[in-house]
Amino acid sequence: MSQAAETNPADMIRSPKAPQFPALPDRDLVFEVEQFLYREARLLDEERYEEWLGLMTEDIHYWMPGMQARYRDDASAGPLIERMAFYDDDLLNLRRRVTRFMHATAWAEDPPTRAVHIINNIEVELTEAEGEYRVYSTFVNCRGRNESEESWLAGRRTDLLRRDAGGALRLARRMICITQTVLLAKNLNVFL
Amino acid sequence: MSAECQDEAWARPSAQSLRELVDLEAGRISPRIFWDESIYRLELERIFARCWIFVAHESQVKLPGDFLTTTIGEDGVIVARGADDQVRVLLNACPHRGNRVCFAEAGNARRFTCNYHGWSFGRDGALLGMPAEEVYEQTCPGFDKSELGLVQARVASYKGLIFATFDPGAPSLDDFLGDYRWYLDVLLDTDEGGTEFLPGNIKSVIDCNWKVPAENFVGDSLHAQWTHNSGAVAMLGTGVGKAKQDSVYQANANGHGMQFGFDMVGNAMTLGEPEVVQYIREREALVAERLGKLRSRMVGAMGSATLFPTFSFLAGLNTVRTWNPRGPHRTELHTWVIVNRDAPSSIKEKYRRGVMRTFSPSGTLEMDDGENWENVTRTAAGVVARRQKLHYALGLRSQVQHEELPGNVHQRKFNDSNQRAFFGRWLDLLAAEDWSQVPGGR
Repeated sequence: MSQAAETNPADMIRSPKAPQFPALPDRDLVFEVEQFLYREARLLDEERYEEWLGLMTEDIHYWMPGMQARYRDDASAGPLIERMAFYDDDLLNLRRRVTRFMHATAWAEDPPTRAVHIINNIEVELTEAEGEYRVYSTFVNCRGRNESEESWLAGRRTDLLRRDAGGALRLARRMICITQTVLLAKNLNVFL
Repeated sequence: MSAECQDEAWARPSAQSLRELVDLEAGRISPRIFWDESIYRLELERIFARCWIFVAHESQVKLPGDFLTTTIGEDGVIVARGADDQVRVLLNACPHRGNRVCFAEAGNARRFTCNYHGWSFGRDGALLGMPAEEVYEQTCPGFDKSELGLVQARVASYKGLIFATFDPGAPSLDDFLGDYRWYLDVLLDTDEGGTEFLPGNIKSVIDCNWKVPAENFVGDSLHAQWTHNSGAVAMLGTGVGKAKQDSVYQANANGHGMQFGFDMVGNAMTLGEPEVVQYIREREALVAERLGKLRSRMVGAMGSATLFPTFSFLAGLNTVRTWNPRGPHRTELHTWVIVNRDAPSSIKEKYRRGVMRTFSPSGTLEMDDGENWENVTRTAAGVVARRQKLHYALGLRSQVQHEELPGNVHQRKFNDSNQRAFFGRWLDLLAAEDWSQVPGGR
């Protein structure tokens, strides 16, 4: 957890307390970010995982903490990086997961899982770093399996997008918080 | 026994009818045991309200006031450490109107107060008070707060694992575990500092009967190379390792079982963390000194285990999980990561991530299990499917005497012996009206 030792990932991508409404980013930038996120969602819906991996920076941290139901006065309500997670991955481990998805013996993907990622509530904030943007979004994800199985997830994402040397947007950090503490499904065979 | 008789009238399956479903000599089992509501209700009474059930690791309730909530069967319980440092297991149901008194899954509390009418209970379960207490005293003849605490279970622990039972007639935890303790030590006692659970708890829901995953972990080495081929390719770059049939054993005691080899790191390698494998290799001599040479070779070896009825683990992969029944066709899976308490923090961190990416709902191995288990359950709804007897006959003549391995020992990797022992214990418990009728030493 090299990066986690320096900074808590939750802090790193948390919105600054003030100003409440930072200067609006340029409309072209918002449009570019929206198109990036929609395209990313479509790559996942179409199981184009290699191309999806191509959207990541080399130092991607892809984090989906486990959610807990704790009382409001509990200082450790979280999410906390040291707790168990659904995803807490670098590029190597995202690639390992993709390897399974694409293997002919991934039985739980055959017939294919039909996934739809609906992305919404996109907000873009400039950061102190040139070419790096903090992006909030919400999602609804629906998976259909075999005949009548259906599984729904809703959640919020906080991303850091960064321009690469050629100026293209890449995903550098993602934190995913879903509404469920008990995952109401037998598995999580989807990226969010 | 008496508590059962006072329950509302419903037709309990007779011992004879249950025996017809489970033929251990021939190795044939009816799928009805995964589907029938009446069998499930009997399981809640005669297995979950009767057996010692794992509820927490001591590291989860370290300080006075630390608590977590879980279930014993479908009964909600609070596991709480009191001011006196004692861990208690309290029924999470208010004796006033039956509401839950604790809604959080973990935390630290001075008391548990019911949201409905404000009855308040100490961490020891005692009723502390309620609003308008004087009205109860004035109008309820014989009102006595000391009789209105939360129902308490018996509590005992084994090397960090806390168990509870609501049955005053249950044998001691040591007797309940029996010879299985020797195998549990491979998970719990390889280091003098003992073990701890890493923070957090991932939960998910599988629409399967609870026994399907429990019997999978008790001995189903056969499924690994088929079900989990894609996961093994992702983590190891190749399929599941092949072991010689005769180099793998199944052992069971009191329905608890473990299947294992002596390859030391087969399970651990799957985590995709070379430092963990190195950690296990470096400790071989230390563990051998502690547990003997044989068990030092089992620490991270390929294998799996279930402590009857619902506590499963993979040694070396260090995932620990419980299969909590939520009706005959639904199981809530709770998972944790167990580590040696004195292991370097970098090793603990590698275990945390390694278990996540292999044996969690998003894990490359676990992901392919649930669908099979759901469909094993679902097919049992069919009239014709229920007529067939499922095949559990592998290794019917594989029992051996082993000079070091305790319990009932069977040799050969692909084997249903532990599964048969699991269902044998299940049958013994369901057929018995109380603990005195449960055959010992199975």
